[in-house]
Amino acid sequence: MATFVNLLSANFRSILRDRIFLAILIVALLFFLLVPSFSLFSMRQVQELAVTLCLSTISLLLLLVSVLQGASSVWRDVEKRYTSSLLGLPVSRATFVVAKFAGIAVTLVCCTMLLGALALPAISISAAQYPSDIPIHWMNIIGAIGMDCLKYILLSAVALFLSTVSTSFFFPFFGSVAIFFAGSASQEVIEYISGDYGKSLTPAAKLVINIVYYLLPNFSAFNLKVAAIYGLPFPFKGALYTFLYFIVYTSILLCLSVWSFTRRELP
Amino acid sequence: MKLKAIFLILLISYGAVVVPFTDYLRNRPVAVKLGYTPDARILKIASADHCSLVAQLAIVKVLFYYGTIVEKFTKKIDLPVEHHNMFKTVNTALKLDPYNMDAYYFTQAAFTWEVGRVREVNAVLDYGMKYRTWDYYLPFFAGFNSAYFLKDYRKAAQYMKNAAELSGDPLFTKLAARYFYESGQNQLGILFLETMRKGSKDKKIQSMYEIREKALKAVSLLEDAVVRFERERKCRPSDLSELVAANILTEIPVDPYGGKFYLAEDGKVRTTSKFAFGGKEK
Amino acid sequence: MNALEITGLCKTYRGKRQKIVKALSSLDLTIAPGEIFGFLGPNGAGKSTTIKILMGLIQPTGGTAKIFGTPVINSASRQRLGYLPENPSFLDFMTAREYLAFVGRAFSMHKSDVKKETDRVLELLALEGAANRAIRHYSKGMIQRLGLAQVLLHDPDIYILDEPMSGLDPIGRALVKDILRDLKSRGKTVFFSTHITSDVEIICDRVGIIVNGNLMAVDHVQSILQSGIEGYVIQLVRDKMVTEEVFVEKERLKSFISDLSASDVEIERIEPKRKDIEKFFLDIVAKGEYVAVE
Repeated sequence: MATFVNLLSANFRSILRDRIFLAILIVALLFFLLVPSFSLFSMRQVQELAVTLCLSTISLLLLLVSVLQGASSVWRDVEKRYTSSLLGLPVSRATFVVAKFAGIAVTLVCCTMLLGALALPAISISAAQYPSDIPIHWMNIIGAIGMDCLKYILLSAVALFLSTVSTSFFFPFFGSVAIFFAGSASQEVIEYISGDYGKSLTPAAKLVINIVYYLLPNFSAFNLKVAAIYGLPFPFKGALYTFLYFIVYTSILLCLSVWSFTRRELP
Repeated sequence: MKLKAIFLILLISYGAVVVPFTDYLRNRPVAVKLGYTPDARILKIASADHCSLVAQLAIVKVLFYYGTIVEKFTKKIDLPVEHHNMFKTVNTALKLDPYNMDAYYFTQAAFTWEVGRVREVNAVLDYGMKYRTWDYYLPFFAGFNSAYFLKDYRKAAQYMKNAAELSGDPLFTKLAARYFYESGQNQLGILFLETMRKGSKDKKIQSMYEIREKALKAVSLLEDAVVRFERERKCRPSDLSELVAANILTEIPVDPYGGKFYLAEDGKVRTTSKFAFGGKEK
Repeated sequence: MNALEITGLCKTYRGKRQKIVKALSSLDLTIAPGEIFGFLGPNGAGKSTTIKILMGLIQPTGGTAKIFGTPVINSASRQRLGYLPENPSFLDFMTAREYLAFVGRAFSMHKSDVKKETDRVLELLALEGAANRAIRHYSKGMIQRLGLAQVLLHDPDIYILDEPMSGLDPIGRALVKDILRDLKSRGKTVFFSTHITSDVEIICDRVGIIVNGNLMAVDHVQSILQSGIEGYVIQLVRDKMVTEEVFVEKERLKSFISDLSASDVEIERIEPKRKDIEKFFLDIVAKGEYVAVE
């Protein structure tokens, strides 16, 4: 456990000293300062726009951080031969991979908390300028931000897994971006083919789509933004299912990552 | 070996979680499914030179969502419909790409009859006419809306004249002429719907028009019957069932929207469904 | 218990066009605690492959390896071990001091010990001046010295060093030799690979020579040097004036000297002429065949 924490803190520090990460974070922070003035663009829904802007900024930052950090994690350590010096210490490969993931996950959680803490005053200020008829549902907003964080932790696990089998940046990067889009759309596709359109498909094609649907991580489930923006009732049961799904899916990905990294021959 | 055991346990848990999870997703309220489309100004910046693509994606999203409502309706599932969100999304798409015909067609199809946002729709169509200067469909839609819903026959005639000039089709001239008569509203509606239905390739839109046409034909039938009743008995029927009792009709037609027809105080035939999917709840 | 125990270790790769490449074939080797063992071989002979298997970085196709009785598959086998990779590379966003603290925690060292030992190894390897600079700004030689520093930090019982002298200047090399001698005097076990024969001659107790994945010879350095004596060069002074050199074969030395005592020639110096480790090594590589060991 001490070894794990030691590695985790090293990974976390490595991200904090990453210039690209810092640049993205600073841009996001600056953007928050502009939210109150940007949201005046909307004539009828200042508050809704402010919530949207904040949630989208957080999403975009987390997307960039999770994909960039996840995709440049394991293969890069192998290529830079950090693995041979780190695994020369009494560190198992499983600990190495899980600590790598945990470093990214902790970063994502910290970013979420930092930006979330800024989002709440930004929304209050904007909403005060032009009160909306919908009251602000703070719990919904916090819930949506939390779910977003889980979504991108899951995405970083995808990127990490791809980086354990890859030897370059491109495969894990484009792979995880593609999986992100596919996983965000899979729910719509499956609903589309279960309707009229599905009747014109062959059973084999339907089967393939269904298999892909269950294999891909379902990212659309984590999207609770509408509930936050329009103050719809928060789907507690759904959030619970989604949370369980997140735990299981992420663990499976970590298992696969450990398995693939354990088999890997290192320089 | 430990890893394999953990993996196996996780796979089983995945199976256990994924069933209620996907079940929940499939039965999520539709409003949530349409999702939120960011403001057009932001999208325009974010999508850079892919504006038209993003616009089309937004339209597809709305069409897709709309399809699920029609489907749910035919399966007799009642759900609140997010008309406002749909309208907003389509509008956003039009701001990104003012040439997108799908969006105009859909706006005309979805927000007039059932939702009654005719003025907003006409504003959208006016906006479109500034861009799609060659297109006779937009003035045709707007003209129809002005006459049929807004009863503004002067405006309607102008629109129809535009449409006639652009298309060179005598049908529009004929239509334009017919707007000057207040009577024959239902016939006009049916004619319009037929034209629209034949012009669409989308099955869902077609079926929507079919339902609408059926309803309108039923109303037309009932109103004709009411007129006959008045001529024969020199008085108004107090209830539609009197039409059956008087042997003018064999039965009261069924409202395809799931409501019940009734005779309103102004002598018009109306229905409890208000000709809208999920209208019963309101 | 042996410090290092390798039995029947094999490694085959699938090369291009599915051709099977034998990187290591049936390696057997045991190293006792307190031994300094030099692992000698030409480039690509399988030295690094062996060391990587010992460090669990690659998996052997067959055979086992144990460090103090623990199989190398288990990461706990590295608890009493210090490893210096070939051309090492360390988390370069850290400073040397941070990295050493990280290594200390990885070996569960006490906080105060980490501080004390960090100062000791930084001084030993002349890195104090650069201790608070990020590693990414280090030169190659400095990184190599940091590599040695992190090996020495937790005072392990066995050291596995892959080419410890590479990238070092003459001062650095001398420093490494001193360090190895010191480890030897403190009863530590060292297993290091090199292709420089003179290093082996000076430092090692035993040497193993590997060629094309086969361990060709394992022997004590002293006995190689002994058995390698071919003869003697004798410097003679005749009539206190003229100096001449004669080569005398090993077997003839006795009779030569007794012959000499009769004459008036004086022996000024007798030097053994022997095959050094380099010669020994080159002969084995050239012969390419197995030499009976021990």
